[in-house]
Amino acid sequence: MASSTSQNTSTRPVENRDEDDGFVDVPEDDGPRHASPAVPKLFTEPPPIHEEYSTDTLTVQTQTMNECVEHLAANSMELDYNHRGVPRLRREAHIKFLKKQLGTLPAPFLVADASRPWFLFWCLNGLALLGEDTTSYRQQVIATAKSMQNPTGGFGGGHGQMSHLATTFAVVLALALVGGEEAYEVIDRKTLWRWLCSLKEPDGGVQMVYGGEVDIRGAYCTAVIVGLLNMPRELSPDSPAYSPDGNTTLFTGLAEYIRRCQTFEGGISGRPDAEAHGAYAFCALACLAILDAPHRIIPKYLDLPRLISWLSSRQYAPEGGFSGRTNKLVDGCYSHWLGGCWPLIDAALNGASDLDDPESKPQPSTDLVDWYSREGLIRYILCCAQDESKRGGLRDKPSSSSDAYHSCYVLSGLSTAQYKWGLTYFNEDEMLLAEPTWKVTPRVDDSQIYDQQDRVEAIHPTYTIPDQKFYDMQGYFASKAGF
Amino acid sequence: MPPKAKVSSKAKEAASKTKEPEAPPPKTANERTAQRYYQTNPCEKRREEVGLHGLTPTERQTWANAFFLPLIVSKEVLLSHKSDREFWKQVGKESLPVRRLSRARKQHHAWGRDRHGRDVGELSPEDFDRRSLQQARLAALEALHSRFVQRRELAGLRLTRPGSSDSAAHEDVTPEEVEEDRQRRKEMAALKSELYGEKMGTYAQDPEWDDVTPIPADEPEGALAAIAYPDDYAEAISYLRAVMAAEEYSPRTLRLTEHVISLNAAHYTVWLYRFKIVQALDLSIPDEIEWLNQVSLENLKNYQIWHHRQLLLDHYHAQISANADADALKKLARSESEFLRLILDEDTKNYHVWSYRQSLVRKLGLWTPQELAATQSFIEDDVRNNSAWHHRFFLVFCDPAASTPGCHATEHDPAVPAETVDREVRYAQEKAALAPQNQAAWNYLRGVLAKGARPLASAEEFAARFVEGVGEGEGREKVRSSHALVFLADVWVEKGEKEKAALYLSRLAEKWDPIRAGYWNYRKQQIAA
Repeated sequence: MASSTSQNTSTRPVENRDEDDGFVDVPEDDGPRHASPAVPKLFTEPPPIHEEYSTDTLTVQTQTMNECVEHLAANSMELDYNHRGVPRLRREAHIKFLKKQLGTLPAPFLVADASRPWFLFWCLNGLALLGEDTTSYRQQVIATAKSMQNPTGGFGGGHGQMSHLATTFAVVLALALVGGEEAYEVIDRKTLWRWLCSLKEPDGGVQMVYGGEVDIRGAYCTAVIVGLLNMPRELSPDSPAYSPDGNTTLFTGLAEYIRRCQTFEGGISGRPDAEAHGAYAFCALACLAILDAPHRIIPKYLDLPRLISWLSSRQYAPEGGFSGRTNKLVDGCYSHWLGGCWPLIDAALNGASDLDDPESKPQPSTDLVDWYSREGLIRYILCCAQDESKRGGLRDKPSSSSDAYHSCYVLSGLSTAQYKWGLTYFNEDEMLLAEPTWKVTPRVDDSQIYDQQDRVEAIHPTYTIPDQKFYDMQGYFASKAGF
Repeated sequence: MPPKAKVSSKAKEAASKTKEPEAPPPKTANERTAQRYYQTNPCEKRREEVGLHGLTPTERQTWANAFFLPLIVSKEVLLSHKSDREFWKQVGKESLPVRRLSRARKQHHAWGRDRHGRDVGELSPEDFDRRSLQQARLAALEALHSRFVQRRELAGLRLTRPGSSDSAAHEDVTPEEVEEDRQRRKEMAALKSELYGEKMGTYAQDPEWDDVTPIPADEPEGALAAIAYPDDYAEAISYLRAVMAAEEYSPRTLRLTEHVISLNAAHYTVWLYRFKIVQALDLSIPDEIEWLNQVSLENLKNYQIWHHRQLLLDHYHAQISANADADALKKLARSESEFLRLILDEDTKNYHVWSYRQSLVRKLGLWTPQELAATQSFIEDDVRNNSAWHHRFFLVFCDPAASTPGCHATEHDPAVPAETVDREVRYAQEKAALAPQNQAAWNYLRGVLAKGARPLASAEEFAARFVEGVGEGEGREKVRSSHALVFLADVWVEKGEKEKAALYLSRLAEKWDPIRAGYWNYRKQQIAA
């Protein structure tokens, strides 16, 4: 692997100008600038196999590679780089950007009128990841959430919009992010449960909205809402999936549905028959990991070797970032959708390493496995996915504008890359638990090419919010008897 | 105070003439008001300038007379008979105005502000007069409009209570009257906008919507991520809330959904509502699809559109299947395929479109050579289009006539004919040879081999074409496809040649695909175990 041997502490690229001096009068900005020697060639040079056969896919891939290399080379005069050739996380600029996105949005945002709950979640989660205190938004989130709530259960995109699983998911997580009893109590668990039951289909799938599409997001959102709010899994008698023997629950058939979404490539699609896609892979794995312990359920329902192979193929060099599908371009948001799959895969293979029956561990320990190049992903995030201007925020790729969606998921991906998640049978007080639980430790190794102060907060591997926010809300509802 | 010399009345007149010169024509309404004020308040301007004591005695007398005149007229001040006569004599001589503009009027001539925030009093007298006329016109229109609304309400009452006998006076409003009021509102809207900058929305202007009370957005104080709605959108969705709450399914609500969709196609609620309307009114599905085609082309990345299409497809399919209408079925398949080709040309990897295409194939049973050929043309155009490769796999290996229902995607399916596997292996290899670093073709090849339970080794020779001298050092080692290298590593694993497999994986980690070094090393670990 091409790695930088020099530990050059210079933050500026060394211009190799010897040949040119006094020979040709070249303006300084013309000609290629050399990449910083602090950056491994892997991230500044085209891949070793060059292909001639040109198609649209290759054209846009080459364009994207070039725009990324330009940023990865760490030779911009306007930016400061550390000794590994990595710029700082622009924490303050991103905080400012996210706060602005929470304010009043101008008229062109009207196309986001049905996804305002997402803006709440993306911005608040982004702010929480950046270490900002989100509780100051509590009253505003409560008021906003109430205006989106329907008396028949659930939350829509806004006043007068039907309850939707995606918007309900976003509102529930936004309430978790601001925390506090008053925020939690906005949720009417009883009507929410009844509404969830009305979306459950006899074949196991879940509609996103009454009369709406059934896809893997429905499975994931259901698992998160039920898990977070400690809702009963039984179905109400008026649910289309209700069976009088009481054998069907909200979770019945979800894992089988997810299995039907694995494709020949190994990846996972949004619904059976469709193409494998990174965002749906995360929904699938996180859903399974909520339904049961990952090491029990994931290998049971999915072809793990093919899945791992496909997941691994999503990282490209020199870009370092992840793509969502075979032969598609890298995009900052997959830092989360695909980066977030790895802790779940890790757990699926390792189980709870401290105390598990050996036969449930089909593989040798993968404790030391680096599933993907953390260095590559972190370089992509810090070099390519940050807006460098006053605007702040994070983005898909250098040629796109920052937005709330990418800010949230790029930062979530950064978090995944900076921490190590594992399962344990012991809680903080060394008490033995019946079921394994997640534990997190900051990752300190050679992949830490960023400065220590650029570490963001840790997010829960399945609920995707800072873990304390998750435990607070879950604990609150777990201790509540009945509805 | 020194007594002043007596001045003759003639001189007095002359003096008063010079004192009140012909004022230049006023430039603004405020100036005109001021001029009128001074015209009806003699010597007032002088008094303002020099004070009461600065006036000549004659001027003072005139000023005082003018001041008292209205009071005496209104009998607020009573004079003796003699004084009264003397007073009126002077008034007659000086031709003092009996009525005059009040001081308040002069000082607070607040005409308000126009739509640009300008003081209306600063308009030119001509513009001011035009504005006054417009205001009068608007007032008249409003009166006529409320008469129309009232008449129609009464007519409605009579309809709901047909027994009431006083109906003669409340005849139905005629369509002409409705049209007349529509025109009237148009004019009112234009006037309101011009005079006050007030917007009168499209729906508020339309008599057809008078029976609906719009429900405006209930946005709490300090709401987060609130959107500054443009007026037309705010109005349209406030009517949408109202008709949805009333569960109205009618032609006008269909038009309303179209309007909202044109402004915001991502509004999932309006799409679901629209489908209910289509069902309730039993509208022609081909017409609806025709309309949807245009909307789809204008909103390529939209999610909701494709669910709507899915609902229409399911609904229509049920209809024509029930009628056993084979022609309609064929026509549907043709028009859908035609449209999908069109939209995929715009965006060849659109996830929603391909997903829809898969459900279309299932629904209409399009496991046909035509569908396969259509898919193939996408691969011919761009051999790296993985969406097209995926669709091909679906067509070949999910066809119920030649596959086992419920067979997992990565598992062997004994129901797939061997010729099919042969054909697909050939196809994948032919395409992989064009661009050996194209992973789509290699993934396809692996997928086909798995379905046919063929050993990877059956494609060993093919893969070996892209790899030379692995591990023999720089210069001798030539790799045209890292995917061929992985493929061969798996062949060696299959054959139990662990060392060779490990070598190939090492070369991937070190040289040919180092970004995935972690994964290649994990694979090596697995082999060793």
